[in-house]
Amino acid sequence: MKRSWIKKGRPPRFTATGVLALVWLGAVLAVLQGFASNGPPSRVDASLVSHVTGMAAGYSAAVMLILMSRSPWLERDIGADRLGRWHAWGGPVVIMLTGLHALAAVEAWAEARSIDLTAAAKDLLEIPGLTTASVGTVILMLVGLASLRSVRRRISYEQWHFLHLLAYLAVGFGFVHQLAGPDLTGRRWLQIAWSLLYTYAFALVLRWRVLQPLFQLWRHRLRVEDVRQESPDVISVLMSGQHLDELRAQPGQFFRWRFLTATTWRSAYPFSLSAAPTCNRLRITVKVRGEGTRRIFNIPVGTLVFAEGPYGVLTTRRRRRPRVLLIAGGVGITPMRALFEVIDLPGKDVTLVYRASCERDLVFKDELDEIAERSGARVVYLVGPSTDEANDMSAPALNRLVGDLSNHDVYLCASPRLAARVRESLRDRGFPRHQLHEERFSF
Amino acid sequence: MSDAAIEFGRRIPRTMRLSVAASPSLIRWTLRIVTTLLFGAATVFGISLGMSAPDISPTPVVRGHVAPPDL
Repeated sequence: MKRSWIKKGRPPRFTATGVLALVWLGAVLAVLQGFASNGPPSRVDASLVSHVTGMAAGYSAAVMLILMSRSPWLERDIGADRLGRWHAWGGPVVIMLTGLHALAAVEAWAEARSIDLTAAAKDLLEIPGLTTASVGTVILMLVGLASLRSVRRRISYEQWHFLHLLAYLAVGFGFVHQLAGPDLTGRRWLQIAWSLLYTYAFALVLRWRVLQPLFQLWRHRLRVEDVRQESPDVISVLMSGQHLDELRAQPGQFFRWRFLTATTWRSAYPFSLSAAPTCNRLRITVKVRGEGTRRIFNIPVGTLVFAEGPYGVLTTRRRRRPRVLLIAGGVGITPMRALFEVIDLPGKDVTLVYRASCERDLVFKDELDEIAERSGARVVYLVGPSTDEANDMSAPALNRLVGDLSNHDVYLCASPRLAARVRESLRDRGFPRHQLHEERFSF
Repeated sequence: MSDAAIEFGRRIPRTMRLSVAASPSLIRWTLRIVTTLLFGAATVFGISLGMSAPDISPTPVVRGHVAPPDL
């Protein structure tokens, strides 16, 4: 009997559990090294805390770089949304560990030399490598501060993104101090292993976040061909280029787009393809969410586009069951529209449920109706207030709508609130987790 | 470009002009080689960084004992 991955054409290289196990194993080894270099622990003091948190912070900073390097192996097998969630969880941990390490180190230095904390901090800043490490720590703190929900709401995505990019510099600044730190010095193999961890992490970032998009810019010469208004606050951007089939993009996937105009080149926005890609055209659909997305509305035709991707696992490859239910909420219709166009099943086995708060917010209605008519698939529009019983999107309501829900793969893309509601309802009713496919990302 | 050069360009047979265009397979292999070289360089750089790292830390805060920072 053939295994499922043989049907897909390639074995999965990574699984989320496997990657997490590897990450945790490395973390345990790093922490143990922190304990070992401090001598036999008799009590928890500032010195021990400093050693352990320092090793853990240095290790997890490198792991964060690797997870966000956009390596296709990770993006394809783990999924950008899950990697993003790990990063959102791990980022604050790195910042807290770094801060704790700095405080504990000052305290330990002050205790050991019997001086006050200010004098100890001054002493430490004079040590080679520690000034840059301190600058790195301050940058990390700023990144953490900018990511706090209350602050994040007050600054633009572009400002937040710029600060986030500075985190690379901060990690680089910390590296010199780590290599010369008391936990690694005198252990040549450990110093080599630590250096390799960092050089590989930066090589991954360079390869996939810098060289690959530059190569794609040169090879595909993607340019804006048309900007079309879909609704008062939604537009579609049609882009044309060369050899786009080489990207192997699939409906349901997304790219990070950087439109090379004076006002938009600094920011990369994640948007899904809203139509099946062809060998010379890609289309995305964008809803205004802030100043940055508003600028995209005025992008001139002919603008060069720097595209990172394709990313995402919300594709037909994930399908396991004989029937498919696509659930879209608001602008979440974009990947669903692309999937709806290409799902290779008899029409009666495909249903698209499209939720919008009013008729005006429905985009692609004509296109969806046309696809449905051509393929025999079903589109159900749920329009109006969510309190209306007819717009119920709970598992029992969906089951009534499509018949045997357990025999379906469910693809979901909606606002975080609606997606959470549908997800929880499906889980409460025992819908198998592996049959629910969704990509959660927001900025 | 001189007239002669333009004329020479015109004389290149179409099949030859096509052969210098980058084929997808050539591009794929070039990218693989670039990736291999990049990680090769990262390996060499990482090892040399590790080999040249200091043997004694300038910050040896070990419980109850502190070496002077100028060590």
